[in-house]
Amino acid sequence: MTAYIAGDKAAFRELFRRYTPLLQRAMARDLRSSEEANDLVQQTFLHLHRSRLDFEPGRKLKPWIFTIALNLKREFFRRSKRRFETSLEDDRVAEPFEGPRGQERSDAAREMERALQTLPAEQREVIELHWFGGLSFPEVAEAVGSTVAAVKVRAHRGYVALRARLGDTAPDPDGVLAGKPSVVESK
Amino acid sequence: MDCSQIRDSFMSGDRLSEEQLEAHLAQCPQCKALFERDAELGRSLAAQANAALPLPADFFEQIEQGLARETGARAWLRSRPSRVRFVFTLLLVLLAVIAGGVLRQRADFAQYPFLRVALLLCVYFVAIALAFAKELSELPRRNPLRESLPLLAFALAVPILAAFAPATELSRRAGAEGALNCFAYGALFTLPVALLLWAFDRNDRPSLRSVCLSAAALGLSANLLLELHCSNGNPLHVLLGHASLGVAWLTAWAAARGLSRA
Repeated sequence: MTAYIAGDKAAFRELFRRYTPLLQRAMARDLRSSEEANDLVQQTFLHLHRSRLDFEPGRKLKPWIFTIALNLKREFFRRSKRRFETSLEDDRVAEPFEGPRGQERSDAAREMERALQTLPAEQREVIELHWFGGLSFPEVAEAVGSTVAAVKVRAHRGYVALRARLGDTAPDPDGVLAGKPSVVESK
Repeated sequence: MDCSQIRDSFMSGDRLSEEQLEAHLAQCPQCKALFERDAELGRSLAAQANAALPLPADFFEQIEQGLARETGARAWLRSRPSRVRFVFTLLLVLLAVIAGGVLRQRADFAQYPFLRVALLLCVYFVAIALAFAKELSELPRRNPLRESLPLLAFALAVPILAAFAPATELSRRAGAEGALNCFAYGALFTLPVALLLWAFDRNDRPSLRSVCLSAAALGLSANLLLELHCSNGNPLHVLLGHASLGVAWLTAWAAARGLSRA
């Protein structure tokens, strides 16, 4: 970022390469089309450019970029008068958009996306930033303007709710999870 | 071991030491939830996070073109550090207040005790500075209306409250006349501040938060200089000529938001 502020164009390409997939994944969940998600990612980079002189060397870049992105996302929902806040009782969730391999995506993956959509916004936001944005919990706390303890509580409540939602579905009917090695290594 | 390492191991498939994992799970209920029922939740989230999403082939070029359009005076102004934008806006307000209020002060100004004037200036300036600081910051904005509406309500109410404060004979006996003059005077002196605020705004379309905070700051600035300039304390005059400025700036900013959407 320091190189980019100094005018190094290659540094911007590196920022783009590093953060675009993370931003896009974090944006995409609540939006109805890939165009909307890409537009918000584009706006995030534009705001990053406009705010570049606010960046203090030594500060973590990722939470700062995601603060910009989240503010833009919330404003997008406010402008389009669409719901960002959903409740656990609400089953009328928006259909998430399909990726290039949309047709191939399994029912299990879709079920997971739908379950995420039904979470209250503050829980979903924390889980999305941690898993799809690749932020650590301290970074998530910085991006949403909260404490680490509070975001961990939100994540835990979200996980419990997700498990309850996914509990009714048959585990991995289309093999999405098959082939994933166990993450535990025996001593 | 921390929560991010566990997430990364789910996503990459890399194995973790059982001993370290057990130690972490013993004190981390959120990660523990990921491993329940054969780690179904952790693996499902990892599968979602690993899914590729479509990206236009020329996406980088589109962004570069957008950045290339960031030229000219406004692009330069809005890219100044927030601290600089804040100080310059506040300086312009100060200049407007000095030019419109202090140098052309009300006829009964000398009759008011210094403490009262100082208190009034402090209240106004703190509120104005708060509104500008919030408006020009990039901090997380979870509930923008909750943080901007109280300031807007204060901006609309404070001139009316001031009209009912103890006043001089001259102020109390005045009629409602001259409200339009005061309105025009306040609007004229705060117009440069409004233009600077617009130039400093990093959003292409003002957000609802921006509309409320800008209107609050401009309304307060206009009322501060009118408080120093106009000796008419007639409630109807204050309502029509002074307090209405906050509403006028709110309407103007909301119209700008509507126009930019179109």
